[in-house]
Amino acid sequence: MTPLRSWWTRALKFLFPPETETWLAVLRVGLGLQVAAYALFLRSDWYYLFASSGKGLVGREIGDAITSFESPLIPTLSWLVALGRSVNMSEETVLSISWACLLSAGCFLLLGLFCRPAAIIAWFLHLCVAESGGLLAYGADNFMTTALFYLMLSPLPDRYSFDRWVVQSKPKNPQLLGFWRRVLQVHLCFVYFIGGLAKCLGSGWWNGSNLWHSLTRPPFNLVSPDILVRFHYALPVLGITICLLEVSYPIFIWMKKTRLVWLICILAMHAAIGLMMGLYLFALVMIVMNLAAFGIPYTNGCADGFKE
Amino acid sequence: MVSKAIYAAWFGIHFFLLTAVCLVGIFSLIAEGSTILPSACEKSAREAELVASWPLAKEAEASNPIRQGVSTYLHAAGIQAGYSFFAPNVPSQHRLTFELFYDDGRVEYESAHVRSGAAALRVSSLLDRLAEQRYEPIREVVVKMLALSVWREHPDVKKIHATFGSVNPPEMSEFENGKAETFQPMFSFDFSLRDEEKQ
Repeated sequence: MTPLRSWWTRALKFLFPPETETWLAVLRVGLGLQVAAYALFLRSDWYYLFASSGKGLVGREIGDAITSFESPLIPTLSWLVALGRSVNMSEETVLSISWACLLSAGCFLLLGLFCRPAAIIAWFLHLCVAESGGLLAYGADNFMTTALFYLMLSPLPDRYSFDRWVVQSKPKNPQLLGFWRRVLQVHLCFVYFIGGLAKCLGSGWWNGSNLWHSLTRPPFNLVSPDILVRFHYALPVLGITICLLEVSYPIFIWMKKTRLVWLICILAMHAAIGLMMGLYLFALVMIVMNLAAFGIPYTNGCADGFKE
Repeated sequence: MVSKAIYAAWFGIHFFLLTAVCLVGIFSLIAEGSTILPSACEKSAREAELVASWPLAKEAEASNPIRQGVSTYLHAAGIQAGYSFFAPNVPSQHRLTFELFYDDGRVEYESAHVRSGAAALRVSSLLDRLAEQRYEPIREVVVKMLALSVWREHPDVKKIHATFGSVNPPEMSEFENGKAETFQPMFSFDFSLRDEEKQ
């Protein structure tokens, strides 16, 4: 066997490990919860945030213009509003329907009902909202788009879904299931390595001052600074721990012996971010992605094709 | 085998683009001089950033179909931005305050507000973006729209003076000594019903 052929065989073995559908069920249910929570959290401000100029906070047109400059092919809420206008539907009605559809798509994903259409609708509507409100978006939006993009392309429905219960379709190709799990796993390795590397390049993560600034900076200042002062010795240790945990994630999360420890530490970090900084949606999407990628045990031991 | 090759090719392209996006982000931080690396690295980082951004076709004209195609794919997959959250250091918080002037001489202070905490997070994100150099061209328009949203709630206001600035929180030792946050104004605008004037 030539070296190139041998490399290709190893690459395919790494990319297509046989997998069960459990991880996909975790991703589907988790993202269903995420999409529903996203819609419910923004319910009272939905129209105000995404209405056109003169009716809302900033006006959707600014976000649309920035997106359109990037590429006119990126979907925005204005596409839906224009579509609604062609059938004499007001902007307010279109935005209300969009919100209801997003919430419904989240609930459908949660139940496993019409999994594929629900995943496509959730991805498309969330993308429209995130792009139109581009100036108002933050990290959680990018992760939601990515997670929904992968879910939409994954071999749905999984065996725990209502769809499978109603229509007795045959189980999905285990290697294809393994491929999409690999995509999610490799993606998370990128996320943490780059995030960790960028943090390592900042002086404030080594002496704890960045952790102090993160936790005292409005609107993330849920914990009283007086309490933080009491734990001032712990901040540098926690700052360094976060840097090392993230930058070494692509190594230790693959090793069987260290995987559980790294996963628990990462999940604890995101839970703490959610509870102490009020970044609930960000925390939830990261926890869901980590659990789906590395939380469910492999069907055939550790990552195939990957030397420990 | 063919379908596996197609999946593998997509995997390669997808993560190649993600690598480019992440490298652009990291090199950009170094080039801006916001890292602990020596300033001698900044020039090389700027050059490396240009090289890394080449596959993303950012330098091509806006109407270039390759640029549009790559950009659309990156946005659709949610990978158009890197992952350097709160890094290398935590960015300053920014505040936008509106001074509302009434005909009878009254002056009130107001800020752009929303109902839910989730939306407040997004407004904070918006204000932080306004401070960035790349958003300078739309800064005035955005502040004007925010002033308009306040105006709708206070229709009898004669004039609005908007002040945008960064909030510098105290370090932990300063906080222990009783020092409070300080506000550093960055720019301000005056808006009246008929016309607006930048100061």
